[in-house]
Amino acid sequence: MVFCVGMQQSEDVLKVEHLIKRYGTTLAINDISFSIPRGQFFGFLGPNGAGKSSTISCITGTARITEGSIAVDGLDVVNEYKEARKKIGISPQEFNVNIFEKTEDIIDYMAGYYGLRKKQRTERVSHLLDRFELTEHREKAFRELSGGLKRRVILARALVHDPELLILDEPTAGVDVEQRHALWKYFRELNEAGKTIILTSHYLEEVELLCDRVVIINKGKIASDRLRTEFEKDDKTLEERYLEITKGETY
Amino acid sequence: MNWVGLYTFIRHEIKRMLRVFGQTILSPLISATLYIFIFGFVIGGRIDLIAGIKYITFVFPGILMLNIISSSFAHSSSSVFFARFVKSIEELLVAPLSYFEIVSGYVLGAVARAFIVAFGILVVGIFFDAVTLYHPFLFILHVIAIAIIFSLLGILIGLWAKNFEQLGAINIFVITPLTYLGGIFYSVHMLPAKIQFLTYSNPFFYFVDGIRNSMVGINEANTIVGFSIIVGLIIFLGILVIHLFKIGWRIRP
Repeated sequence: MVFCVGMQQSEDVLKVEHLIKRYGTTLAINDISFSIPRGQFFGFLGPNGAGKSSTISCITGTARITEGSIAVDGLDVVNEYKEARKKIGISPQEFNVNIFEKTEDIIDYMAGYYGLRKKQRTERVSHLLDRFELTEHREKAFRELSGGLKRRVILARALVHDPELLILDEPTAGVDVEQRHALWKYFRELNEAGKTIILTSHYLEEVELLCDRVVIINKGKIASDRLRTEFEKDDKTLEERYLEITKGETY
Repeated sequence: MNWVGLYTFIRHEIKRMLRVFGQTILSPLISATLYIFIFGFVIGGRIDLIAGIKYITFVFPGILMLNIISSSFAHSSSSVFFARFVKSIEELLVAPLSYFEIVSGYVLGAVARAFIVAFGILVVGIFFDAVTLYHPFLFILHVIAIAIIFSLLGILIGLWAKNFEQLGAINIFVITPLTYLGGIFYSVHMLPAKIQFLTYSNPFFYFVDGIRNSMVGINEANTIVGFSIIVGLIIFLGILVIHLFKIGWRIRP
């Protein structure tokens, strides 16, 4: 499937086809399909329990797919999971780290898991520590860091192997306004450099500001799929449209 | 094979173990020293020869095995359970590591800990003149094999346990009794003939016997049965644990 972004045609980095996810008898995702072309900044919205996190978990491999298929850069995430995972970087909403580990080690181990050798790893980790202003905190255990610093460690970890597809699940939660603006700037730079980004956020202004395209999921189904150019022409704000679709459910 | 990834994971496991050195290395060394001193040296000094050897020399392989079992089991079970508890297991699940590589990382980390503890206890044993090594190669093979079995079992329990109580329960109610009843401190021939079958049907007896044979050159169990149990358990538990990771049992909803 090929999407048109502006005048440029681009291949799909992510292709989700007829995805169904059940937890026991609960249907979390009800047959959704979408594709994300290379270089797109993709906003993924929905109320709590709508199926956003389940979709992301199925993409990254932290949840099993009930039915359907997901391909990252043409690689099936189940049958070719090792190669597919090299293409994905995930910054999850929850801090899924060993809180006793040092900042530097958390990033360094992840680099190792992705197969980066020592020299390459040292350079990459130093660069990311520097980029996220974590150098002075490199020896601190994760539990000793503030909320904003923890978020930056998670982001650095997601970027350590320079993934094709970066998934940012609430990347600015718990981050102060100044740092949030700095992160937005950085996300834009990454996107401009060609990285495909999926962003889920409870801050709709963040999505409106950054994303080329916004998909709203509700009750396991895609309720809206619009390009930025379309919602810019709209007389309604993203928030108004969002509330209309979700009928005011909490987000 | 992602060799760098596997090496990194083993490095991670060893570093985690060394971060709590007192708990992972020092504690079993102190406990083993007490066992050797009290059961082997103090009480053993007043016990006649068993199977023609000093009591301290007879019990030492069992004490060593007890600590190999507890170290390897504790390492992998706590590592898997804690990683599930704080969700850091997702670091492995999203990484380009195969399930075989993940299980190998846990196992090799646990084997490394068992080796360090075993080496420390050997040094203590040498100090008490309790160590003999009849078949060094067989001894190393047994240490590795037993550590692999219990690290695999530890992974299984780490995946299964829903809380800390369940995590400890298997060790308290299954592993410890079977280990003690496996002939660490006694010869099977000391038991009344009618209940000897209980020891013979305890797989832990074959672990103790294998290590004892490699160290002091005597064995009470059938070597082929012992070898089959050890190899069979490694294969069975290995396949089971890799399969559980593959289907995401209790780690991937």
